[in-house]
Amino acid sequence: MNPGPTPPSEGGQASVRAQDVSKVFFSGTEPVWALEDFSLDLEPGSFTCIVGPSGCGKSTFLRILGGLEERTVGEVALTGAEHAVPAAFVFQEHGVFPWMTVLDNVAFGLRMAGTGRREREDIARQWLDRVRLGDFAASYPHQLSGGMRQRVAIARAFATGSPLLLMDEPLGALDAQTRMLMQEELVALWEQERKTVLMVTHDIDEAIILSDRIIVMSGRPGTLREDITVPFARPRTVDIERTGEFGELRARIWNLLREDVRAAEETA
Amino acid sequence: MSTTPAPDAASAPAPSPRPADREDRTLVAARAHRARENALRTRDLVLSIAAPVVLVLLWEVCARALIIDPRFFPAPTTILAALGEMLRSGELWTHTAPTLARLLIGGGLGALCGIAVGLLMGSSRALNAALGPLFSALYPLPKIAIFPILLMIFGPTELPKIIAVFITTFFVMQISTVSGVWAIDRKLLEAGSAYGATGFDRFRFVVLPGAMPFVFSGLRTATGTAVVVVTAVEFTGASTTGLGYLIWNSWQLFIPEKLYVGLLVIGIIGAVLTTLLSRSEKLLLPWRR
Repeated sequence: MNPGPTPPSEGGQASVRAQDVSKVFFSGTEPVWALEDFSLDLEPGSFTCIVGPSGCGKSTFLRILGGLEERTVGEVALTGAEHAVPAAFVFQEHGVFPWMTVLDNVAFGLRMAGTGRREREDIARQWLDRVRLGDFAASYPHQLSGGMRQRVAIARAFATGSPLLLMDEPLGALDAQTRMLMQEELVALWEQERKTVLMVTHDIDEAIILSDRIIVMSGRPGTLREDITVPFARPRTVDIERTGEFGELRARIWNLLREDVRAAEETA
Repeated sequence: MSTTPAPDAASAPAPSPRPADREDRTLVAARAHRARENALRTRDLVLSIAAPVVLVLLWEVCARALIIDPRFFPAPTTILAALGEMLRSGELWTHTAPTLARLLIGGGLGALCGIAVGLLMGSSRALNAALGPLFSALYPLPKIAIFPILLMIFGPTELPKIIAVFITTFFVMQISTVSGVWAIDRKLLEAGSAYGATGFDRFRFVVLPGAMPFVFSGLRTATGTAVVVVTAVEFTGASTTGLGYLIWNSWQLFIPEKLYVGLLVIGIIGAVLTTLLSRSEKLLLPWRR
């Protein structure tokens, strides 16, 4: 499935290096450009969010990095390619296996990587404790709330020990209040771990709260519109939302997106 | 109800912000509401048991009073007496055993093969392209219509009867299993790939458990169909054993009690198999809501 990411040959600094990646598929006889000449380098240990109108190819790019979709042309290199799980994915919802207990779900990546039972269950238990689901190891996902299920999905990704986490709107299906709580937890977790994270989100506030850097994409075909560095110091809390700087940044990103979002709305 | 609050709020261990009399009135109303609900539930339970019992009693009375013709509708006690007699003489078992064997061997093998082929077709695009249309075309064919061909090929032995049950079960299970594999949420298949489940691991951890709910609903359908087919096959002259034969032969010899005994036992077999299936589904798929 994955056309084989290779370790970056030059420099070796970036954790992810994508160069001139394009994705074209056919709708009838019409070629559709989902992504056009998109390039992105991610520094190791950075948290980056991609925002953009629907259909701009942001999820497609994430899925290409994760090996879930093939790129049409372009180069992708991951430093962690030799790791058992080069990139750990967190899906929006329904990504945890309903037929596995919470513990088995969290240990799944390690199991596929060939880690022994004792070790993988120890690691999974530690991660369950860290996402405050220690008491639910033997439960099945349907017994949990939506927020708890997403914590399972996040724990599963972290538990693999993969240097790169790819998150496709991981909090997108949660209600607004659960979502705010989860943002705080995700910030705290990430600040302890400092994995390279690339996250796709619709939520501008979420992008500012969580990330070091925000990639704003244009509408279809997806290209890079602006690369924004988020100025807030770490450790962070959601309290930064009350600062004027936050409002300005949010307005700036929204101004970049507004026209494309409207266009995407009208063609949909 | 040991939790009835003291009428005087001041004597309550934890002071309540509500005035005591108001709390009392509310709780009394809530209890009355719950009592009404419980009474209704008990009534429903009693009705669901009483209705069939009353019908059978009515049947008994009508048959004895000759309101209905006991030659066509022998009284339930007459049927039970015949059942006891047939149990003692061993006649019942000589008919039940072959039917059970045909059902379990033909149905068991048919289910296993159907599930296996369904899983393969669900996982292999090429195999599904090759066999899918063929199986879809064969599916609506009434399997019982093939029975004479089977008789022609294998002669009047056990084999054609078992094969008839096998084919019936196979098709139901193959179709249900393929649908089960296709019904697996794409996100879960992707989660499997994203975490490195390929080849047999993907099959074992994602495809197989994901298809199980459909497999079990297929098994329930297949059981019903297999009971019909085994009875029908035993109706034909090709069989001198089995509950189907018992029913048919009792009609021809005009022994209505035995006819009803055959009907009762076949019904019980169907009910037991269905119950066993839903029990094992609960046991094997604890993750289902």
